[in-house]
Amino acid sequence: MTARSVRSRRVRQGGTVALFLAPSAVPLVLFTLVPMVTSLWVSLHTWNLLTPMQWAGLSNYASLLSDRATLSALLHTLYYIVGYLPIVYAGGLGLAMLLNRRLLGRSLFRSIYFVPVVTSWVVVALTWQWLLNPANGLVNHLLGLIGIHGPGWWASTTWSIPSVILASTWKDLGFVMVILLAGLQSIPQELLEAAEVDGATGWKRFWRITFPLLSPATYFVVVISLINGFQVFDQVYVMTGGGPDNSSQTLVLDIYNMTFRYQEVGLASALSWLLFALVLVVTLIQTRVQRRWVHYA
Amino acid sequence: MNTRFGVPVISLAVAASLLTAACGSSSNSTSASSSAAGSGATSAAGAAATSAATIAATSAAAASSVAAGASASGSAPGSAAASTVTDSAANDTKATINYFTFSAAPDHLKDLNTIIAAFEKAHPKITVKVQTAAYADYFTKLSTELAGGTAPDTFELDYQDFVDYASSGTLLSLAGANASTYSPAAYTASSLKAFSYNGEQMALPESFSDVVLFYNKALFDKAGVAYPTSSWTWTDEMAAAKKLTDKSSGTFGLFQPVTYNEFYKALNQAGGQFLSADKKTATFNSPAGVAAANWLIGKLGTVMPTLTQIGNTPNFDTNLFMTNKLAMWINGNWQFAGLAKQANWDVVVEPGDTQKASAVFFNGVAASKTTKHAADALAWINFLSSSKSSVTTRVSSNWELPPVADNALIAGYLTATPPTNRKAVIDSLDAPSLAPVIAKQTQMQDLVNTALQNAAAGRGSVQSDLDKAVSQVNALLK
Amino acid sequence: MPDTQVIHPLSITSAPRPESARRRRSRMSARSLLLMTALVLGGLVMLFPFYWTVQTAFSPNGSVLTTPSIVPRHLSLDGFRQLFSTSYDIPFLRVIMNSVVLAVVSTVLAVTTSAMAAYAFARLDFLGKGAVFAIYLATLMIPLQVLVVPLFIEMRTFHLVNTYEAVLAPNIASAFGVFLIRQAIAAVPKELDEAATIDGCGHLRIFTAIILPNIRPALATFAIFAFMASWNNLLWPLVILSSADHMTLPLALSSLHGQFSTQWNVVMAGSVLSIVPILAIYVFAQKYVVQSMATSGLK
Repeated sequence: MTARSVRSRRVRQGGTVALFLAPSAVPLVLFTLVPMVTSLWVSLHTWNLLTPMQWAGLSNYASLLSDRATLSALLHTLYYIVGYLPIVYAGGLGLAMLLNRRLLGRSLFRSIYFVPVVTSWVVVALTWQWLLNPANGLVNHLLGLIGIHGPGWWASTTWSIPSVILASTWKDLGFVMVILLAGLQSIPQELLEAAEVDGATGWKRFWRITFPLLSPATYFVVVISLINGFQVFDQVYVMTGGGPDNSSQTLVLDIYNMTFRYQEVGLASALSWLLFALVLVVTLIQTRVQRRWVHYA
Repeated sequence: MNTRFGVPVISLAVAASLLTAACGSSSNSTSASSSAAGSGATSAAGAAATSAATIAATSAAAASSVAAGASASGSAPGSAAASTVTDSAANDTKATINYFTFSAAPDHLKDLNTIIAAFEKAHPKITVKVQTAAYADYFTKLSTELAGGTAPDTFELDYQDFVDYASSGTLLSLAGANASTYSPAAYTASSLKAFSYNGEQMALPESFSDVVLFYNKALFDKAGVAYPTSSWTWTDEMAAAKKLTDKSSGTFGLFQPVTYNEFYKALNQAGGQFLSADKKTATFNSPAGVAAANWLIGKLGTVMPTLTQIGNTPNFDTNLFMTNKLAMWINGNWQFAGLAKQANWDVVVEPGDTQKASAVFFNGVAASKTTKHAADALAWINFLSSSKSSVTTRVSSNWELPPVADNALIAGYLTATPPTNRKAVIDSLDAPSLAPVIAKQTQMQDLVNTALQNAAAGRGSVQSDLDKAVSQVNALLK
Repeated sequence: MPDTQVIHPLSITSAPRPESARRRRSRMSARSLLLMTALVLGGLVMLFPFYWTVQTAFSPNGSVLTTPSIVPRHLSLDGFRQLFSTSYDIPFLRVIMNSVVLAVVSTVLAVTTSAMAAYAFARLDFLGKGAVFAIYLATLMIPLQVLVVPLFIEMRTFHLVNTYEAVLAPNIASAFGVFLIRQAIAAVPKELDEAATIDGCGHLRIFTAIILPNIRPALATFAIFAFMASWNNLLWPLVILSSADHMTLPLALSSLHGQFSTQWNVVMAGSVLSIVPILAIYVFAQKYVVQSMATSGLK
């Protein structure tokens, strides 16, 4: 191959890449990256939205990093993720496997289990507050029947985050289920049946065929759930408001308060960029590690 | 496999043309990439061009209208503009002014439209355009618009948030306004004062509401307890509440929310002050503060439900009162409309401890400092806050009361029933308790609310919870 | 696990179902019954808040939000009537139209732009691919709350405040969609593309004729989420839209909350109106998720 033809192929490829990427890259740059860079600039200022910004250098970052409240919000966020992610993945996978079988009313069940995803958080929060009410809630009542004295749930500083985890898991099961179902659809039934003919048991089939073939979808669920988990907001906002006694205060709840309630937009932007750095590192580690366990066709 | 590609796919007709471009453009990759970029952004860019044209046209018209009217340009400092623009000049040209409100939605939009119709009849050259948002979203939108430099010409502010907006220089001052712009004598003095900042009038008081003691006559009759009077104190209130509480039937004696708004008022009732006289330090951990906090949390689980039982259930207390499960209820006169169909209830000025104090809230209307129609904007907020048609519309629709000086204007409100004793709403103004306002208002409220919840849950002693909150609030005041 | 263990449907001739499948089914019927019971019970728990929403929506005016009863009392259409009545001064039909058009347009745009980018990331080689993909993902890592104000200011310089274009703008592209679809394309065997390349097909042809039909489950899944993202979006439309005739459904629903009290039957009626279309779309799109299995098996 001559140098000229290599170059021309690369140029042609470059054109194709641009053609495929531009429709998403241009709007992403304009409507997400530009505001992101602006917010980085804002993070170096003091700004209450009403009066002009004032240069603050790195003082926003310094005050956040020296504030114990930042650390505790981070710990609450991590606690949430560690509790939420395994349960929602395992539950969603179980549901997806179950509803991928030939089953009476399968599409009806797929729809029913998706209903929480579209139900508004306000109603969901009310429901869970009611179910988990320490005084007269259904859950503690049932626990009482088997001799367990139920915890204080959202009214207690130790159980507020588990309460949020429970409600979030319940709401997001359908989301994970749908993604994994789409992934399961691409696994050839014939392959599983061939394995069965070969005498592989259910578990073996799952671990040797289903799980590896599902790994691209799993990888997606894990990465997206982590990114979303670090930004947990809605459910905390409506269920506990960060309380009691700030025991469920999370990073984005802080960011929301700082932006729209406390009018400390510079501080909110700085905290967002700290969060960004953290999520980026976690995601990059995942892209490294994925090469070892995600199997593409 | 070959055959599959031979089949023409109709839906790909558009893509096919792009296909040629992609494959054939090897000699000129830059043009391919830039054209792709162009097509990706077409909708936005094209729209931008159209809108830009429209906006340019409108702003040109606006600019000429201002020029024709007077020298009042948007950039001129508020007070000067207000005083130089005269009514006659403003009436020469047509103008549309925006009004952003939280108090009208959702129940009073029709009434607001009535007021606007009357205003536009009186000022044929001015059109008022309403924007609404729920209270919970209102300040998010307003502050973003101010940050973006697209503030509505006129907007509503509650007393607690007013100081922030006034001190940030976002409001058009009325200090230099002439007598035809607005008449101070039309408003009650306390309401005008609520919207003055550093001695300058920065907004006009539009409505007020206050907190009274609601009581269910039937439950009092049943328990054989005498109705509350305006001379009651906490002691009388608590004694009655205990008699009226009947846990077997789920009936509670007295409901008062455990919040910042109740706390600063109870603190006043116990003879204390939230802030020092110079407003530089918080003083609510005084013995009066402890008494106020104990008064609020002492009712939980005895004469009212616990905070856990209440949770975040919307309208929990309203439900109790409406289903005759609550004998006494501390709440605002904004509840009157919702209780209109309930029988057998009345109100009375709220009992105090060592002194009387009733929470009073004001809403005001302000013009933006950057409005291009200063005179028209002021004409509108003046009409909205004090005109006869505005006042009568508010009164007849059970909207919040206008703080007008002339009680005759609101006579209709006082004679309507229920409740019979509507005079209590006016009497409550004798000992008003206004929310303490600091620059970091919302943070302060959150801190006090957390302290009260901690005290209620017994996470520390009341004194230590208040001490902690005081030191946190003091840090905000620095 | 190495790729060799993976056999793709395309390399398998469609054979009659093995006999063992039928035997297995009867053997497992007892277990199926148990599973079915669990699914039904779980389903009830899943439906409960929605049932509560619906029941409140059909309760009469002036009734209060109480914990739901198994059998609803006092059914009434008051909430829906009130919602469309003139007293609220919300042009509700217009609002629904706005939301539908915005959601459909942004779904079409997002699915198209995401699928194209996903193809580039899955199938094309270019310098800095990993870095560019990381930048795509990075757009998901900043909380929306801090982007709203900068974006608003940007829109103002474009003179797009209070326009539909501005509402759409952040929804045109979605890194979430790019990632989701990239994972799906990665699962399509490369041999297919290679065969097509030999046949002289360009990338756009491969993309439209080979890749797209094979990733329909992912496209349908993303379409659901793209639709939901636009349909439920509150914060951005709240900030960027101001005139009543531009209002979207979440904005209208949020404006039903009064400062001091809320008519819950009206709010829930609105809530039902906003949930039902998404459910309908889900049920519709879900068919494609299932169907695609049959079609990919035939190829």
